[in-house]
Amino acid sequence: MQFEDSPYRAQALDPLGQDDPLLAMASSPDFVSELLPLPLDVLYELGIAPALRLVAAGIELRDAELDAIVAACWRAGTPVSEKVQVLRGGQARAYVVAEEREDGSLLLAPEPVPNAQRTVPASDGRAVAAAVPDVAGILQVRDLTVAYGPKRAVDAVSLEIRRGEIFGLLGPNGAGKTSTLSAIEGLVRPRSGTIVLDGIDSRRHPNQARARMGVQLQATSFQSELKIGQIVRLYAGLYGVALSGQQIVDGLRVIGLEDEARKPFKQLSGGQQQRLALFIAVVHDPALLLLDEPTAGLDPQSRRQLWGRIEHIRQEGGSILLTTHSMEEAQAVCDRVAIIDNGTLLTTETPHDLIEKHKNDPRVREVARGDVTLEDVFIGLTGSEIRD
Amino acid sequence: MRLVLGSLLRADFLVFLQHRRALIISLMLPVFVLATTSGSKATDKFGGAEFVIGLAIAYGLLSTSLIGYALTVARDREKGVFQRLRVTPAPTWTIMTSRLAMQAVANLIIAIAVVVIGSQIHHISPSAGQYSLVLLVSILSGAVFLSIAQALVGLVRSADSVQAIARVLFAVLILLGLLGQSGALGSFWSSVARWTPVGAVMTLFAGVLNLHAWYSRDTLSLLACLGYIVVFAGIGIRWFQWDAR
Repeated sequence: MQFEDSPYRAQALDPLGQDDPLLAMASSPDFVSELLPLPLDVLYELGIAPALRLVAAGIELRDAELDAIVAACWRAGTPVSEKVQVLRGGQARAYVVAEEREDGSLLLAPEPVPNAQRTVPASDGRAVAAAVPDVAGILQVRDLTVAYGPKRAVDAVSLEIRRGEIFGLLGPNGAGKTSTLSAIEGLVRPRSGTIVLDGIDSRRHPNQARARMGVQLQATSFQSELKIGQIVRLYAGLYGVALSGQQIVDGLRVIGLEDEARKPFKQLSGGQQQRLALFIAVVHDPALLLLDEPTAGLDPQSRRQLWGRIEHIRQEGGSILLTTHSMEEAQAVCDRVAIIDNGTLLTTETPHDLIEKHKNDPRVREVARGDVTLEDVFIGLTGSEIRD
Repeated sequence: MRLVLGSLLRADFLVFLQHRRALIISLMLPVFVLATTSGSKATDKFGGAEFVIGLAIAYGLLSTSLIGYALTVARDREKGVFQRLRVTPAPTWTIMTSRLAMQAVANLIIAIAVVVIGSQIHHISPSAGQYSLVLLVSILSGAVFLSIAQALVGLVRSADSVQAIARVLFAVLILLGLLGQSGALGSFWSSVARWTPVGAVMTLFAGVLNLHAWYSRDTLSLLACLGYIVVFAGIGIRWFQWDAR
């Protein structure tokens, strides 16, 4: 890749192998517009070399593609500065080359947050996309304590969610799952602890942190007077995304709700409500998606469909933290799971490792019928008594 | 921030349009008061046409604020609408500002409608300046009743309890206004009624509709209104919980 450092020289390139070039190189972002047939919508700006800029245009560009862009530049011999400044919607994010893989591809990860918590990754046979020790954690929770009066709902919980990971938080009723999520979402004020989301201290900068997270609450409720299309427009706007009427219809078509755009939320079925809630949660392409019992009350078909959507979000580079009571769901969907009980985190492993680690535990053996399952481990660790 | 506030205002405006029937119902009591006091004897009992119109506006604003705003906020809180809004990057003040802005619009519509209808029934002709003052006082009076509504949803979490208390409060303030101001309950209650939120607002409206007779009691009513706003809004903001649990 050759580039002449002249303000009037610019080169369109196509490192993603797509027909329409999404990228252009120029000595200044101002000159890129000369190359691109579409209105310049600067989403990313990478410092490739001194005085040079790579500007990516197009609203569909995502983190995984961004990584591919820089990797392509690297392979082509373009001097990519080791630290790449990425501007997304005016927010600067520093990336570093975390790993050079055997196939020659590069794995980018956000620059590590100073003093960020380091947790040991689980050794799992399943591939965890874009998970890099030290630098790749999208969410670091450290010593989180949430109390309601004298009762500690969450007691010194620490956990880390890696990039591209689906992380399941399991626990019986009242174990502290929703309180943990609520603290991350900023709905409850923790008594102590730190929460760092995508490099942002969410307790100090709650609104900046919320802009990077998508949330589906346990009981989703939107204004009952508003129609579906109006609800989508409202929440997109709250995340700074201006959607046209056509874009809303197109989005609803993807989730099979285009015919419901003029219906109020309460007229949707449970599955449709969940699909809409998930659609709204990801309308701003969040770095982390928080799902509180997303499949509760859904029929098997709707549940499977939702799993597919969650997996699709992960494939597009999203990271997901979900709570669930369904061990089947945890085993099918999650890369790693943590079990919480009485506000305390008992263990964090991959589902496979969790079973392997505890299959000979007497408490687990006592409740197992045949081969030890994740549910046996869960009941063995948290007890058989019914929680309210 | 413009997109955030714009989105909230747009949504709240759409909700407001859905509730236009409630706005019309809120106008029924003021119109009833205006109609039943149209005779000179009845009007004199309340201190003149301006006081009657002031009373009618106060009832309209009380109805939309106490029954309308407080109940909507309490129900949305109970349903989790606020929690869903709070997990977005929208600052919490924008959520409430948008709602209050729409309520202020509703208050202005009621005040203008009552003045127009009242001046027809009671044969008075407010000037353009007086209409402007009515608008200003409507905002102030609306703030009085909204602050009471805010204090109510700040102190009471359950939507059912808010509904019950709002209805009782509404009835008490209406009766105090009607019976107290008319002197039917004696001079003590007449004095009490004059300094209730309804009484103070009513005096203020009467003052701006009859500017050449602006007395010190009108100024004191203005101060009383400001005092109510500070106290009730303070309570409502201090103890307001976004979650009903």
